This record gives sequence, C-alpha cells and structure tokens, in this order.
Amino acid sequence: MMESLAVSLVNAVPALSGVPLWTMTLLVMVVVAAVVLTFALLYAGLATYVERKVAGDIQARIGPNRVGPLGLLQFLADGIKLLLKEDIIPAKADRFLFALAPYLVFIGSFAAFVVVPFGVGLIASDLNIGVYYVMAISSLVVVGVMLAGWSSNNKWALLGGMRAAAQIVSYEVPVGMALLPAVLIAGSLSLQDIVRSQGGLLGIFGWNLFHNPFTFVSFFLYYTAALAETNRTPFDIPEAESELVSGYHVEYSGIRFAFFFLAEYGDMFVVSALATACFLGGWHVPFLDAEALPVAWGNLFSLGVFLAKALGLVLLMMWIRWTLPRLRVDQLMRMSWKYLVPITFFNLLGVSLWLLVFHGKGIPRMIASLFG
Amino acid sequence: MGLKGYLHDIWEAVATTAKGMRITARYGVDPRETITLQYPEERWEPSERFRGFLHNDIKRCTSCTMCVKVCPVDCISLESVRGADKKLVLASYDINIGRCMYCGLCVEVCPPKSLTHTSGYEKATVTRGELILHFVPEDAEEIKARVAKQVAEAAAKAEAEKSAKAEAPPMGWPAPVFAAGNPGAGADAEKKPAREQKGEPANREEPPKEGGERTE
Amino acid sequence: MKARAEALPTQEMLINMGPQHPSTHGVLRVILRTDGEVVVNARPDVGYLHRALEKIGERVTYAQFMPFTDRLDYLASMNCNAAWAWTVEKLAGIEVPERAEYIRVIVCELNRISSHLIAFGSFTADMGAFTPFLYAIRERERVNDLFEDICGNRLTYNYVRIGGVSADLPDRFLEKTKEFLDYFEPKIPEYNKLISYNKIFVHRLANVAAISGGEAVAYGLTGPNLRGSGVSFDLRRSEPYSVYPKLDFDVCVGTGERGTVGDCFDRYMVRINEMRESVKILRQAIAQIPGGPVMAKVPRAFKPPVGEVYFRAENPRGETGIYLISDGTVNPYRLKLRAPSFVTMNIFEKVTKGLMIADIVAVIGSFDIILPEIDR
Repeated sequence: MMESLAVSLVNAVPALSGVPLWTMTLLVMVVVAAVVLTFALLYAGLATYVERKVAGDIQARIGPNRVGPLGLLQFLADGIKLLLKEDIIPAKADRFLFALAPYLVFIGSFAAFVVVPFGVGLIASDLNIGVYYVMAISSLVVVGVMLAGWSSNNKWALLGGMRAAAQIVSYEVPVGMALLPAVLIAGSLSLQDIVRSQGGLLGIFGWNLFHNPFTFVSFFLYYTAALAETNRTPFDIPEAESELVSGYHVEYSGIRFAFFFLAEYGDMFVVSALATACFLGGWHVPFLDAEALPVAWGNLFSLGVFLAKALGLVLLMMWIRWTLPRLRVDQLMRMSWKYLVPITFFNLLGVSLWLLVFHGKGIPRMIASLFG
Repeated sequence: MGLKGYLHDIWEAVATTAKGMRITARYGVDPRETITLQYPEERWEPSERFRGFLHNDIKRCTSCTMCVKVCPVDCISLESVRGADKKLVLASYDINIGRCMYCGLCVEVCPPKSLTHTSGYEKATVTRGELILHFVPEDAEEIKARVAKQVAEAAAKAEAEKSAKAEAPPMGWPAPVFAAGNPGAGADAEKKPAREQKGEPANREEPPKEGGERTE
Repeated sequence: MKARAEALPTQEMLINMGPQHPSTHGVLRVILRTDGEVVVNARPDVGYLHRALEKIGERVTYAQFMPFTDRLDYLASMNCNAAWAWTVEKLAGIEVPERAEYIRVIVCELNRISSHLIAFGSFTADMGAFTPFLYAIRERERVNDLFEDICGNRLTYNYVRIGGVSADLPDRFLEKTKEFLDYFEPKIPEYNKLISYNKIFVHRLANVAAISGGEAVAYGLTGPNLRGSGVSFDLRRSEPYSVYPKLDFDVCVGTGERGTVGDCFDRYMVRINEMRESVKILRQAIAQIPGGPVMAKVPRAFKPPVGEVYFRAENPRGETGIYLISDGTVNPYRLKLRAPSFVTMNIFEKVTKGLMIADIVAVIGSFDIILPEIDR
C-alpha cells in the first residue's frame, strides 16, 4: 500500500519524478507513521482527561474543569508537568534496564496501531497476518513490565512485575482463542479482510457478534481477557495503587512514568479497536455501503463509525474500572485458567462445528435467505 | 465443585457486576448527583456556632485571664497593667492561631463575652509568625510606659492631697488649748505647721505606697 | 508442588509496608516476611503517632482534657468525648440531666454512622473499588453539617462537657436529623447492591482471616470485630449506660453468610448492619427526648473525690475504656486510655500467617483500626 501511495505521489507531483522509488516509499512510511503516532498520543492524552471526567461523574463530583474550557487542556498541563519533573533513577537500580523498560512497554503498545483498520482505506499497513502481529507485538509489554519491576531494585516493584508477568502471559491464551472465531469466519488473519467479511447489506446483523451464539460469547470473553491484558481494574493487581503503591512503576517519575501511563491507554484503544474490527463490524457504516462511496466520503464516514465504536468500548472499560473491586492474584489466575481458557476452547470448537455444518453462514444470513 | 456450581459462579459474577454498573451508570449520567462546591467561587455558609478564628473585643476585655488559664494548649497570652483607677489596662493580647485547636473552651468561659469565634477560616500565611494575632494595636511597652506615667501622676496627686489633708486639723477636734505664754497657740500657730509640712514630702525616704507598677 | 519447592532454592522476602502506605489507615508499619506472595510473618510496628496524651492528661484539668479526647479517635470524636465525661461523672457521682443524656446518645449514634461510613468507604477503596468511598464521604458530609450546626466544628467537636453538653440543640436540629435519616436509610441497600454482595468483593473477603469466637474473646477483641466472630456482646446491651436501656435495637452478629463465621466479610457486614441499627436508635431518641436543662451544676474549679474508676463505652471501633485515678486535685493523677484498635492489633500477627499480601490489606481494613487511637 505504501508503495502504491509512493508511486501515485511521484506520478502526481512532477517535481518528485527524479526521486528514486525507495526514498519515496520510505518518506511515505515515515509520514504515515508520524500521523498514526500523533493520533495515538492525542488519543492517549484525551483518554486520561475523559477517564478523570467519567470518574468524577460516577463519583458524584466534577472532574478537571479549570485548565482550558471544560478542563480539556488538563492533559497538556499534566504532560508538561511530567516533562519538567526531576528524572530520578534509584541508586542501586540497573540503569540500562530501568531506562529501557518504558520504551519496550511503549513500543509494545503503540506498534499495534499499525494494523488497526480505521476506515475503508485507512490502515497504516494491511498485513496479511494482522491478528497474529498484534498478539505478538503486544507481548513485548510483558518484557517491559518485568524489566521495570526487576530493575527498580524495589521489592514492591518486583512483586508488581512478577504479578504482571504471570497475569499477562496467562491471559494471552484466552485472548488468542477468543479472537479465532472471527478469523475462522473471515478465513484470513488480515484485519481488513475480517472487517470486510462482516459487510453486505445485512447492516448491524452482519456483525460477527450476531453470527452465531458462540461468537456472541466470544466477544465478552475477548473483552474480559483483553481487560486483563491491559492491567485495568478489576485486573489491575500489578499496579494496585492501594496495595503495592503503584506496583511495577513505583520508582518511575517524570516522562518515564508518562510512557507507562500512555502505553496503558494506547493498549486500551488497541484492544477496543480489535474488538470492534473482529466482532462489531469495524468501519461498516450503517445503512450505507462504505466501499461504494467516493473515496473521501467513504473514508470519512467509516473513520467516524469506527472511532465511535472503539471509543465506546474504551468508555465501557472506564465504567467498569470505577465500579468493580480488584481480584487477588490467585483469583485472577484461577479465573483465567479455570474459567476463560476452558470456555474459549469450548467456543472455538463450537464455532468450528457451526461453520462446518452450516457452510459458514451465520444466523442472520440464514433468516434472510428464508425470506429470499 | 460441580458443573452447577461452576455455572452458578459465572452467573453470579455477571449479575452482581451488572447490578453495580447500573448504579454507577445512574450516577454518571444524572447531573443532579454532583455535589461539588466550586471553591473559591462558591462557598459553604458556616453555621452560626461555627468555631472559626478567635476575636477579642479589647474594649470589653477585663484582663481576667480566664481564657489563658483554660486554654489546653496555652495559645493565648496577655499582659495587663493596673491603671490609675485600679482597673486593669490591657497592654497586649496575642492569640497564636497556629497553636489553637478551636475547642471553644476560652469563649465559653469568658465572663464579659468579649472573646468570640468568628466564621473566618482562611488565613494561610507564609511564615509562622504571621499566625500570631495581636489584638491590641499599640505597642505593649508604650502602653505600659503610658500607664506607669499615669499611675505615677495619680500617685503624686494622691500624695499631695494626702499631705493637704494631713495639714488640716482632724475633723471635729477642738483646737488645742495651750497655757498662756506657750508658742503655738492662737491663729499664728495653725499656719506655721502647714507651711513646714509642705516641704516635707520631698525629704521623705519612703517610696509612695500607691500607684506603683504592677503587672499581672 | 512440594517436590519442586524443595528442589528450587527460594528466599524469604523482607518487605516493609512502611508508615507511608495508602492502605494502612494511618502511620502503621508492618514488617512482612513473605515467601513469594504468601505471608510467613507480619509484625506490626506502632508508635509513629504517639503524642503522650496520657501524660498530657496529668497536667491539664478535667475540663481541659476534653479536646484531647477528640483527638484520641478523631472519627468517633463525640463517642470519646462522652466516654471521658461519663468516666468523670461516675467518679464524682454527678447526675446528668436526662435531656443531656439523650443529646449525648443522639450525637454518639450519628458519629457511629459517620465512623462506619468511613470504615466502609476506605475498606472498599483498599479493595480497589474507588467509588463507594466517595458515596460514603457524601453521606458523611451531611452528618458533618448536622454537627456543625450543633457545636461549630466538623471534625473534632469538643461538644460534651462534664455534667452535660455545652449547648442545647439549635433550631430545627431534630427535624434536620430526621431528614438525614430518611435520606440515608435507602442508601444502605444501595451500597449492598453496588459493592457488598459483588462477587469479586465477596470472594476477596470470604474465608479470609476467620477468627473464632473463643479466639476473639481471648485476644480481647471488642466491638464489631468481636461481634463479627459470632459473639453477641454489645456494651450498650450488656452493661448499659446513659439512656440505652430505654432504646430498642438489635445487636448485629456475624453469621458466616458468605464464608466462615468471623471472616473479613462478616466484620464488614456487621458494620453495615450497625449503621442500620443506629438509624433505628436515632429515630427512637428523637421521639423520646425530653425538655429540660442540658448541664448539671459543676463547680468551675472541679475537684472530684479521691479514688479510681474504670468506665467503658461502646465506640464504633470497640470498647473504649478510661481508667482514672484522682487524688482530689484539679488535675487527674493518672489516666489510662484503653483504645480498642490497640488491642485489636494483638491478633494481627497470628491471623495473617499464611495469607497473601493482598489479604493483609483486607485484614487491616476489616479490623477498622485507626492509628491515633493505637498510638495515643
């Protein structure tokens, strides 16, 4: 896709005809990456603001409302504050690993934005192993968290890091297996293909969510397991504020802490985006065929719809956070291995059998075919 | 645990979570539930009996020191001098509101009710010295000096009056009758002793008994 | 599992859950020795908030000590004030007017509600649900408004005096209290729906740190901690003082409804139920309160007779006892404050063996300790 963009750019602007193709492609890649990163960071900043506002509303109080109109610039103020803070590295900490850990967590979280299908043609890189890539790259977070816990030379951080490692690794299994039904229905790991497979004029009923009862359950399983992946309450044991005093990022201050924080919100979006793409119809615009529209309008509408769905799921995560208490470590592990894993296995089996028996047709399509 | 227990666990988890989320959703959506007062624009109206900072009306204060004695943390200090009219004059009255614990015992016990609680609670300062409230505006030493002067003047006046009174014969006693030929009899005799006694106070060694400086 | 544990050399971790910690309800230091996540030994280290209150008591007069009792347990300030007043009155044989006793009971029960609200709120916040804390604070603010009307302060009240109370109830106080009760009573089932019976919350607390009735009595636990273990002992019922004999209420006892009798969940539910009982008591007290004076005649320079007395009151955290020796002068000769939280800490080390670190927080929260009381 980048190459084709590069080619079309070279053709469109005659002044650039002398530039070799590989430079053009590289340039396009850099620009696209910059755009995606900007979006991701802007989203992460605003997500912190929305979280605080939502928390305030639920808790019978007002969130931030002093900095900027309605407090919208609060995240900028927070960012500047974190930038200006003193960068403290504990005396006996492992300096290299201490500095490396936030970067790994950040990369693990934001590199997944590359395959998120924002719109009809709006995807940074439509890898044919989309889902696989996301699962793989978000596992970098485990390494980062463990490094943070270890290198801080702090027993609380160590405990947090160990808990986080155990938690994230255990929940990778149900996450993967809960996503597989969507892959099976689409027949491809590429996220754009999965989204396209939910299209057609069935509107909302084209969603994978309503395809068959097993995928319906899969969506909730995926959401729960992914909530655990992102260390959100009720699964925020690694960073339990009231117990471990911030767990694995207790020794981090300033911009290093900001990296962890932003990575958490980035992760939330990636997970929600994946859920939207795989189960909630992705960027399909209701009542319209987005791919048939002219390019600009199609992209705009589909982007809007996608963002609405993904951000809605992010909002749901915030709502859950402010309602539920947190699980203890052993209860967390128990939930993953004794509840989520068997049920997702069972689901996977169910979906496979369904697709075999009904030749890949979902319930809405079967009902529609009854009426012709 | 059997299959039934397993499924019951799952169902209970989902049901109780949903119930809880319904309650938080109601709070999240209903704007009437917000109870924040936006200080400093909106302020809470303190009640009538609110125990804010202390205020002493020095015109009514009688320097009885009941407040000083009853304060559990010794945050009130006062100095007073006895004035010419035998009444105590307040030289300084300081309350250290940084130490005060706003218990209200001093206000309860004040006989002339000059010490009261205001409804003030905003007096953040940069140095601790600013937290000591001085209720007597003048300098204590000046007041003491002034009162001492007044007292000395009053004492002097009193002495003069006393000596003037001592010159006059005691009331109701008849003039002494001396034998003829004795000096001191007659009208001349009355004037002479008075003239002599006038010069005496300057020579007297004893310090004046009344009107001395006394601090309490 | 055992074979592997022996094959791998492991080390015990010595972790300091220091005086500065979000969940220790004050400046409590717990020295943890853990084997991974499982606690081998948790020793509490207290004393970071010692202010020598008992020594101060020897140098101030009886009336001057009243504000210091405020700061003994600042969340149950009225209860501590009243305990001191009752102690001195018992020693000196002062007869308190009935209206004053009713007022004392009203403010003590209101303070019990607000103290249990904080216990409930901070406990759920420790467990990770941050929202109920703010709801509890909102309710507590309304109680504080009532207290502000009656005595002028919102936290350390210094309202009770030896011989009565310092001032009569202000205008419309009883109506406002009734309004508060009508507003507050439906909130308790809402809290139960939101968090008390939430599966995650129940799972965190059920069967954690179960203390049997016999153990609880042996270690001297009192108040909701004792009643949570199934022992029905409430000083307001067993050794009634003030006007409690005239008031009808149930003693809330832990029943092991979600786990074992005497676990953290039971102690938590006892507090929730006690709030309901306090509402009942308040309604009766408001209905029964007579007129009359609110202060007995106590001389300004108060000198109780020589002697010693021990009085215990049912405070929200347990039995607050004051042992007072008087030598006939204006200052007490010796006073000893029996703080319920201090005695509760005795069982801490025993009960936390074998728990996980996350459970330590649950145990501290379920005991509802408060550090100024422990350290005095």
